[in-house]
Amino acid sequence: MNAEFRIIGKPQRRLDAFDKVTGRMKYTSDYSLPGMLHLKALRSPYPHARIVSIDAQRARALPGVRLVLTQKDFASVTWIPPQPAMSDVARFVGDEIAIVAAKDEETAIEALALIEVKYQPLAFVIDPEEALKPNAPKIFPQGNLIGGKPVVLSRGSIEKGFAEADLVYEARYSTPYLQHATAETRVSVAHWDAGKLTLWESTQGPFELQRAIAKALKIPVSKVRVICEATGGGFGDKGSPGRQAIYASTVARLTGQPAKMELERDENYLAATHRFPVICNLKYGVKKDGTLTAIQAKVTADSGAYSIAGQAALSSLECMASVYRCANMRGEAITAITNNPPTGPMRCVGHPQGTFAQEVHMDVIAEKLGMDPVEFRRKNHVHLEDGDQFRKIPFTSNGLAECITRGSDALQWGQRWARKPQTSGPVKRGLGMALHGCRHGSMLPVMALSGLVKVNVDGTVNVYTGATELGSGQRTTMGIIAAEVLGVLMDDVYVTAADTDMTTDTGTTTGSRQTNTGGNGVRLAALDARNQLLDIAATELKADKKSISIRDGKVFVGSSEKGVPLEDIASKAPGGVIVGRGVMRPPSDVFSHAFAAHFAEVSVDTRTGTVRVERLVAVHDLGRTINLLGAENQIQGGAIQGTAFCLSERQRFDTPTGICVNPDHLNYKLPTIKDAAPVEPMMVESIDAVGPFGAKGVGEPPYSGASPAIANAIYNAIGIRFTELPITNREVLARLQAGQGQRGEKR
Amino acid sequence: MSDKRDVSQPDRSSAESGLSRRAFIKGVGVTTATAAAATTAISQLHAETAPLPKGIRSAVVQTEINGKAYRLTVKTHWTLLDVLRRELGMTGTKKTCDRSSCGACTVLLDGKAVYACALLALDIDKRKVTTIEALSDGDRIDPIQEAFIREDALQCGFCTPGMIMSSKSLLDRNPYPTVAEVKEALAGNICRCAAYHKIIKAVTSVKA
Repeated sequence: MNAEFRIIGKPQRRLDAFDKVTGRMKYTSDYSLPGMLHLKALRSPYPHARIVSIDAQRARALPGVRLVLTQKDFASVTWIPPQPAMSDVARFVGDEIAIVAAKDEETAIEALALIEVKYQPLAFVIDPEEALKPNAPKIFPQGNLIGGKPVVLSRGSIEKGFAEADLVYEARYSTPYLQHATAETRVSVAHWDAGKLTLWESTQGPFELQRAIAKALKIPVSKVRVICEATGGGFGDKGSPGRQAIYASTVARLTGQPAKMELERDENYLAATHRFPVICNLKYGVKKDGTLTAIQAKVTADSGAYSIAGQAALSSLECMASVYRCANMRGEAITAITNNPPTGPMRCVGHPQGTFAQEVHMDVIAEKLGMDPVEFRRKNHVHLEDGDQFRKIPFTSNGLAECITRGSDALQWGQRWARKPQTSGPVKRGLGMALHGCRHGSMLPVMALSGLVKVNVDGTVNVYTGATELGSGQRTTMGIIAAEVLGVLMDDVYVTAADTDMTTDTGTTTGSRQTNTGGNGVRLAALDARNQLLDIAATELKADKKSISIRDGKVFVGSSEKGVPLEDIASKAPGGVIVGRGVMRPPSDVFSHAFAAHFAEVSVDTRTGTVRVERLVAVHDLGRTINLLGAENQIQGGAIQGTAFCLSERQRFDTPTGICVNPDHLNYKLPTIKDAAPVEPMMVESIDAVGPFGAKGVGEPPYSGASPAIANAIYNAIGIRFTELPITNREVLARLQAGQGQRGEKR
Repeated sequence: MSDKRDVSQPDRSSAESGLSRRAFIKGVGVTTATAAAATTAISQLHAETAPLPKGIRSAVVQTEINGKAYRLTVKTHWTLLDVLRRELGMTGTKKTCDRSSCGACTVLLDGKAVYACALLALDIDKRKVTTIEALSDGDRIDPIQEAFIREDALQCGFCTPGMIMSSKSLLDRNPYPTVAEVKEALAGNICRCAAYHKIIKAVTSVKA
């Protein structure tokens, strides 16, 4: 890919692959310490209930039970708003109302059954639009609308925009509850020793967790150590501190024994966070030449009982505000609290929902205009010069046009797309596409950015990064950047990730940001270390510092082919120490934006309603590819998850009781290897102005474009427009059998 | 949708919420867990007045795990997964669902891929178990593991041991599988990170 780099952009083996394929990697759930207590939670069976009384006497008396804690034990503990550490009002089915700590899991589970709880069931609401009505049961005193009023985005004049339009189209779209379903459930192992707490955690945010625990326990931050060598899957669920961490930490401190709390799979489906459902009411105006004149959107999100993503609906509304050039835009973001499970960030927070709605909407409008969907997008998508209309700042890079071209070429869209393809036989084929743009992949002004690099006397290198390795390859990416900057071999680099005693905060490993954030931190630290090496080399080799270079672990002067081993220089460091420090304050008015275009080919078997994704071309502008294998893996993995968002995943709730009926892997419908859509990853390098070596993140964006590309391809194949996810084969079959989609007849 | 309930109605405590899985396993585990006994146990449990078999016993199983002989004293309701991870500290085999629905706990039983969470410890008596730990020794790793590393056939790595054991079971029978055969063999191993395409590449490349 890049001749100018020795390591960046070239295939590199994942640094922790050996430990993962041999089973030697120790995840938090693998930890077991002598005398360790096991914690289990008693969970509310009601979606909304006051806890009138809890009698844990019999539970405490069970041999092997060490402690039972209830809400009053956490009343003075500061946890993360909006969620208290434990509530005396249960607000969703699965809400923790008591904790048992026992010598083993079985004893703890047995003790749960001995706790007698008097509940006062309260009126509950599990529909966001119902929750916003004036007579809805209030889940919090301040009401069910987060912030008390909608968040309004507005530019230009929406009335003028509609007045200028030749065509106005309005429609409603909706997406359901999803869950991250990380392979490793939420788990914490806490150990308290002489005033210091060590917390092993399956996390995406070790420093946030460290600070939250210190505050909750009222101890110094310096006395809390969070360690996470590898997280068994995150996808956004583990960025914010989870309650299991404060429970384990509290028990460890109270008892002096190590304490482990690991959620079982059904508990994880209930009490971890979820992707928030969204209802998008879109009304767009266009001129007959295809120019957008007005974008109006009302986005309502169901945040469940606790909204870890805050103004959740706003993150979906961002799609309508920033992907297309349009002077007149008005959007309302409404986030409603309900008695459904808590929601939070899940891969590309809000954008898969918003992108599904917008890209299906654009597809309908293209058809009404008689325009090729690709040409309609080309006419309206943002270019570099348009800037971020949402934040009113320039783009630092924008490769969207190239994404569209390359994706279109790969699928041969120009030759193969037809408005009404005629496929004979019961299996119909169709093509569809979608665009996406977002600030995932950017540094965030509010977050830390740092890294440390140490060069040892033998010329090998230790890299310390606060990024967590959750499978997106952060450890390897940091190693690649350090090795490239220093001029050493990858084999000589060892990366330590996510240990608050050793690494420094570089923001949470969410938002696709670590390539940018942690990457810049490590880059700066490596530059600092390199500078120290060059100073030593200049003295040792009696050469001009400017003429010295380091390549493949050897030091060269000028154009000389004869290199000196790096250890000859490193070992001469004053005091034997070379430590590179990288700290940067991210600029407050600069965001990198990731862009993508997805092109899908599907086949629909009209006899069974089964949709097969035959090809999914996923083209991503990621600025510069640093970790090639990691980027391919992220694009494929994210896009496959996105196809499941489209076709199969949904958490279902029983309406009369609020109970989730599929809190398990069998009925939640995760994609297996047989379901995995063939994703062809392609990378566009627009060379970002602020990312390290021009890189932006790419962990999340692949999720967003997949579902509308597929939904649009389904329409192209069978003439049925789906505006609600998931598009299961049952839904497809029902619509086909109702006579929809017959070519030439009603649509 | 709202629902008002009368507080004078009997309170629903978790003790009344129905048969727990643990109680079910307890009941089943007294006899050797053959399929017939399990079926009988299920129909007994569904009958309203059928008594559960009482008590949990200890039992001794003689087994070979990764080529080493073991004589283990187990409780009759423990699963093989419990024994491997908790009793023997062999944490390479992962627990993800504990409900036979994801494959993360795949091990080989007499060379055949099985879910450790779906077997009782009693089931390994006089049988041979192979776990992920058997495939490497120090720096030496199995060709399947090398292929997974080379093709980057993993992300978070949590499903990887189970995925590799299923792959081994396939390749031991069929060294040159087609893509369709790989998909069929690995259909019982969920990779939530969806590294599937690289996994397929890795498995088809091992003996190629």
